Amino acid sequence: MTSTSAPTRRKPKVEGIYYAFLIPSLALFTLAITVPAIIGIFFSFTNSIGFGDWEFVGLINYVAMFSDPAILASYLFTFGFAAVTVVLVNVLAFLLAVGLTARIKLKMGLRAIFVIPMVVSGIIIAYVFNFLFSNSLPAFGQTTGIGVLSESILANPDLAWVAIVIVTAWQAIPGTLLIYIAGLLAIPGEVYEAADIDGAGKWQQLFRITLPLVAGYVVINVILGFKNFLNAYDIIVGLTNGGPGTATRSIPMTIVTGFTGGDYAYQMANATMFFVIVVLISLIQLRITRGRNSV
Amino acid sequence: MSVQPALAVENIEGTKTLEDGKARRTPTANRGNGGNGGTKPSLPLTIILLLCAVTVIVPLYVTVSMAFKTQAQAVDGNAFSLPAPFSVEGFVTAWNLTNFPAAFLVSALITAGTVAGTVILGALASYAISRNWNHRLFRWSFFYLLAAMFIPFPVVALPQIQLTGLAGLDNPLGVTILHIMFQLSFSILLFTAFLRSIPSELEESARIDGATTWQTFWRLIFPLLAPMSATVGIFAFLASWNDFMMPSLITSDPALQTLPVVQSIFQTQFSNNYNVSFASYLMAMAPAIIVYLFTQRWVMEGVTQGAVKG
Amino acid sequence: MFRFFRRKPRVLAATLGLLLVGGTLAGCAGAGGSGPETVRFHLSKPEAIPYFRELIAEYNAQNDDVEVVFDTSSNLQAGFLRGNPPDLGLLNYNMEMARFMERGALSDLSDMPEAERILPEVQDLVDQYATYPGRTSVLPYSVMAASVIYNAQIFEEQGLAIPTTYDELITVCDALLAAGITPFYGTFREPWTVAQGWFDYTVGGMVEVADFYEEMNELGTEVGPDSPVSFEKDFAEPVTRMQYLIENYANADAASKGYGDGNLAFAQGQAAMYMQGPWAFGEIAKTAPDLAVGTFPLPMTDDPEDLEVRVNIDLAAWIPEVSEHKEAARDFLSYLFQQEVMDEYNAAQLGYGTTTDAAPVTDPRIVGMKQYYDAAEFYQGASKAIPLTIPTENYTQAIALGADAVSTLRTLDADWARLALRQ
Repeated sequence: MTSTSAPTRRKPKVEGIYYAFLIPSLALFTLAITVPAIIGIFFSFTNSIGFGDWEFVGLINYVAMFSDPAILASYLFTFGFAAVTVVLVNVLAFLLAVGLTARIKLKMGLRAIFVIPMVVSGIIIAYVFNFLFSNSLPAFGQTTGIGVLSESILANPDLAWVAIVIVTAWQAIPGTLLIYIAGLLAIPGEVYEAADIDGAGKWQQLFRITLPLVAGYVVINVILGFKNFLNAYDIIVGLTNGGPGTATRSIPMTIVTGFTGGDYAYQMANATMFFVIVVLISLIQLRITRGRNSV
Repeated sequence: MSVQPALAVENIEGTKTLEDGKARRTPTANRGNGGNGGTKPSLPLTIILLLCAVTVIVPLYVTVSMAFKTQAQAVDGNAFSLPAPFSVEGFVTAWNLTNFPAAFLVSALITAGTVAGTVILGALASYAISRNWNHRLFRWSFFYLLAAMFIPFPVVALPQIQLTGLAGLDNPLGVTILHIMFQLSFSILLFTAFLRSIPSELEESARIDGATTWQTFWRLIFPLLAPMSATVGIFAFLASWNDFMMPSLITSDPALQTLPVVQSIFQTQFSNNYNVSFASYLMAMAPAIIVYLFTQRWVMEGVTQGAVKG
Repeated sequence: MFRFFRRKPRVLAATLGLLLVGGTLAGCAGAGGSGPETVRFHLSKPEAIPYFRELIAEYNAQNDDVEVVFDTSSNLQAGFLRGNPPDLGLLNYNMEMARFMERGALSDLSDMPEAERILPEVQDLVDQYATYPGRTSVLPYSVMAASVIYNAQIFEEQGLAIPTTYDELITVCDALLAAGITPFYGTFREPWTVAQGWFDYTVGGMVEVADFYEEMNELGTEVGPDSPVSFEKDFAEPVTRMQYLIENYANADAASKGYGDGNLAFAQGQAAMYMQGPWAFGEIAKTAPDLAVGTFPLPMTDDPEDLEVRVNIDLAAWIPEVSEHKEAARDFLSYLFQQEVMDEYNAAQLGYGTTTDAAPVTDPRIVGMKQYYDAAEFYQGASKAIPLTIPTENYTQAIALGADAVSTLRTLDADWARLALRQ
């Protein structure tokens, strides 16, 4: 690397002050993240409720978890939700980015508007949407006679997740959009000039030229987005609080509500499994991005 | 982790030039991808985008209009009607009920602490790491600190509740520390990449002039890091200001809760007084939106820079 | 057990505090060193907050050495986990508290004179959930008796008598429908309203709840399709009837209505009956102070002798084992347990006294349940006897919204067995 090591010694002595620079971060990090992670894993082998009497129960929490429909349903919901949202967010953000980099009026003003949702807290905007979904949408459904909409979709176990996808997308599009804009602006204009000369249509250009050239950005967006959406919590709290029934309980929500119900050890087993899965996803991500260093 | 120095520089330069919307380096980049290929701005496309922008504006419009209604008008549940008469009673009630100034102060302190802490701790650690890369401890520390990107908060949330409580940190300070720790890996990733791009000659000449490492860092390196610090700071700001889950679980005293958490605490007390609840939402949302409107160019650039690198 | 972590983070916290935002935030952490001893008093029942706020002010004015701090919204589970729970809790006694007690997290109060005054049948209600050997950890403060709330005016106008059998109930409902009146108002958006009212009343009207759970606890991991008792076997009938009542006699938009909507709608006379507890009366009175309302136990069988009311320990007091202010907390507890203070609370909140010397209930709105309470013809809600980690309320909500009752109950059985395995 670009270190300034003196050539005479193979291992130059590190100046003391560098330790002083590094140690606060290392120590805090260890106490704030590593130690809790270890404690959590430890307690996943007990029947602790977080305090009071407890004893070791071996792997029973893990065994119970794998046959627990509530846990399995939360994994299914969370991954399904993340997959749908990631597709929706990326399609919309990409199309918007194409529009926002084309020759249009009010370009910077429009960009500024589309980025606003990024600075709004998820739970607060979820409360706002909650009002719209429970009051305005049913009113609209009743006047137009659209049966599905005449009742709050938040109260419909089959549709509540759609509301969560909509609000999550509303909030997640700006970040994704900005990355796509950067990607689109990085494409040299000559490419399109050549395509124009060859007589390629606009749609052809979009799919044959633009999309392949921003493929790297798509990968980044999909992976970042997916990992974020797995942690869905705030917006769900504001919209459905996991309901109706248990239809929209994400993994983080299961962990927190399970704990509030007195299930510390069991939810630590759940958290441990969630952690393992996220690590696996991250490793896959590393593999893919490594192969995509051209971005 | 695979970020290579050269690559990093390219990205940073690339996004910097490109994000000003004029795309100086590639003058024709704007044309071609959609719309008409001519020199005139496309009106139909502008209209389509304006319509799309309505979806962003509608919830915000509803928030504002509901907030300024009287209670009598708000209970009818019509989201789109304009306030008539115009009333601030919702704000007065919400201000007092939720103790808005306290919640705002807590949110602001946590956010300020997180931004400052993330930038300073991240820059210090990154500097130490990048200048001692061939030393095992520093190299491993880099990977160790990056590991937090693999650990979602929910995974460690419960033990953290326990530990912060035992350490007397079940308060905004504890939240600040945890926010910094969860931002740290990302900021170190960005800082180290940037630091590797700084030519060593600059530093060497500073040292020849007799500057210590401490002085070199603060007088030379830290100012050079400014654009990256802005990016790191913006990310820290957004993550910290908007966070709900961590403060709601870590802070034990409800009087020391942040704005987003306060909204959920008072949700049942707002009941059907929609003007009060929306006034409260609006007050909680407005500071960040206002800050954003004044700094939008930086925010967009910063986020693009960070996200493309992350 | 993690005591050794205590010190290091403090030092670090101090260092970082300086590094970050200075002393401003750190001040919050170390507050409350000197001055009067503070007792953090937890009470989260929204309707009761104003009453106790006044009591606290009175008590604080009288006492210089103790200051009671009111805590209405902290997360108890998290408080215990942190090792800093409130010093005195006065809240709904449920399975969560039962688990705290079971693990020895609540201190023994049996030596307090207040413990002697509690009615034995009420103390039994506590023991139905859990016990800790040698301790009386929880002192009941107020019992709420709940049953169907009805609009007396509508009943009178339609010439309807209070039903005492299931068939009579159906007849009443049909008569109301024929007169264009919605019989029941449902608020299914909020799961607890389904569990508390619809589910508990229908189940409690047919099943001996306490006996049922005693057997369920004994069976533990063996609960399942073939066990002698199970949710599927014993609850299927009442729950199916619950669905029948909802489908035919509840408001069509119940799925998107919440508790607040329900109180408003019932107060406006939009329905004749409402499956809520006495806490709703105060809310109803806000809209319709003069509405004539009464209560009757939901008849679920053909025998009027089977009628029982649902009770729950609405408020019960406890002091955590780890509290550092036990003595001061006990003093405030005694203050709260003065007979006139308790009576005033129960009269205002329409609760039933828990002590041998409690004043009798007279309010017309709940006096309809007095005969059942006095005769101990009551049960604790079936939904309340299931540990909170099982999302019972959400299951009942799903059933109310039309999910298959039998398969949902089977899920509940499986949850029960799985929970027994790991506890």
